[in-house]
Amino acid sequence: MIQRILAFAYRDWLFARRNIFSVVEMLFWPIVGMLSIGLMGNFLQLTRDQQAFILTGAIVLGTLQVTQLDVAYALLHDIWSKSVKHTFLTPTGVVEYLIGPWLIGMVRGTVVFSMLSGFSMYAFRFYLPGFTPTAILLIGVFMNALLMGGLVSILVLQYGQKAEISAWTFAYLFILVAGIYYPASQLPPFFYHVALLIPLTYFLDYFRTFYGHSAHLAHPLIKGFGLLAISITAMFAGLKMSLSRARRTGVLLRLSE
Amino acid sequence: MKAVAVHDIQKTYANGTRALQGVTLEVEVGEIFGVLGPNGAGKTTLLNIISTLLVPDMGDAQVLGWSVLDDPGKIRGKMNLCSGNANFAWSLTIRENLRFYGMLYGLSKAEREHKIEELIAAFSLEPFADRRFDEVSTGTKQRLALAKAMINNPELLLLDEPTVGMDPDIALKVRRHILEYQKRTGCTVLVTTHYMPEAQMLCGRVAFVRDGKILALGTPDELQTKLKAKDMEGVFLELAK
Repeated sequence: MIQRILAFAYRDWLFARRNIFSVVEMLFWPIVGMLSIGLMGNFLQLTRDQQAFILTGAIVLGTLQVTQLDVAYALLHDIWSKSVKHTFLTPTGVVEYLIGPWLIGMVRGTVVFSMLSGFSMYAFRFYLPGFTPTAILLIGVFMNALLMGGLVSILVLQYGQKAEISAWTFAYLFILVAGIYYPASQLPPFFYHVALLIPLTYFLDYFRTFYGHSAHLAHPLIKGFGLLAISITAMFAGLKMSLSRARRTGVLLRLSE
Repeated sequence: MKAVAVHDIQKTYANGTRALQGVTLEVEVGEIFGVLGPNGAGKTTLLNIISTLLVPDMGDAQVLGWSVLDDPGKIRGKMNLCSGNANFAWSLTIRENLRFYGMLYGLSKAEREHKIEELIAAFSLEPFADRRFDEVSTGTKQRLALAKAMINNPELLLLDEPTVGMDPDIALKVRRHILEYQKRTGCTVLVTTHYMPEAQMLCGRVAFVRDGKILALGTPDELQTKLKAKDMEGVFLELAK
């Protein structure tokens, strides 16, 4: 299994190195998001903690998007190069199929996080609250990215290539509900209850307590990691079922045409 | 044990196409077996079921002693497939694509690199080894597909129109390589083809498929005698009527 994880990481690394879009993904949109939020904060004369609160949203969004794209690309690159059947002809399982690209996604995500945090510190008085809270936030974001990338793969296997668009929209939808520039408690009641089912909500709530924001959710880390464990397990089970269905219906072969 | 034992396989696609209607056949270990037939006959569907890429609606297939329904994972490590119209990761080079699949099949680094060089030489891929997949010709892509299909030393090699798109001289070289490879390794080869000279050159036995059913099965000589045809082209024309 480790060999296959490394195989998918190797392929994803080569894709990332040779594809100009992957550089744009890492630089353009995350920097645009961070700059616009930082400048808006300056204009509104927010306090340093308020500024850090909203910049956290922009930084997490950029990091999440880049990491989850790598996970989603596992299947999308196979579809674009029409090689799905050759991949699933091998003894590959769904776990290694996603974990390999996720490793590269975490490397790219760490670069984006460092770049956005560093520039925000320089330009917008941003600060990180220390190693442990930052590491916990990053672990949470990376695991959420694995979950989202896996969900994209399930949708594509279920509904074919028309579901590709979810790769570029999921991160935005998730973080919108999880509380990108605001606590989830600001959402209308229905969406607030949806937010409580998204693990990312708890990690954002936890991290923002270090910027003087009182936590809205009790035991955010226990709930966040607990939800992640349940939802990632369910995602892998769902992906395995979708792959079996795709072998039964012929979708797996159609995705190779 | 048979290399492949297909029993009463049936497959109907969602659009209502009945691709296979009760196909039964057996392939001996070490045999080169041809599946012939016109377009849409069900040849590729049969290969896809044997390769575990497609699940049959009814019936079962035993591949290398394992059921495609119950033990597909055990089969996948021991067989490989080369299909016509080769498609692989377009931004990876020929060598990188082979390395990727070598890793997926669990080859150690030393074994993998040795195998890659061996296959690159065997299929005359040296001038293109470090060229990206999207930069090489159709024939070169097809040779990569064959090389990839041999990366894990498969006990069962499935070839779906293996020489499609190749120049005649390269196609001949590839056929010779398939024969030499089979002789050296003793692996079982199941090949679908439109080219009757290819079937004649490669196959010990052939099955002729049309409309999802096997119409005839035997050695090329047996089929020619039975159908009073002077060669396999004649057999094809007679059975495809």
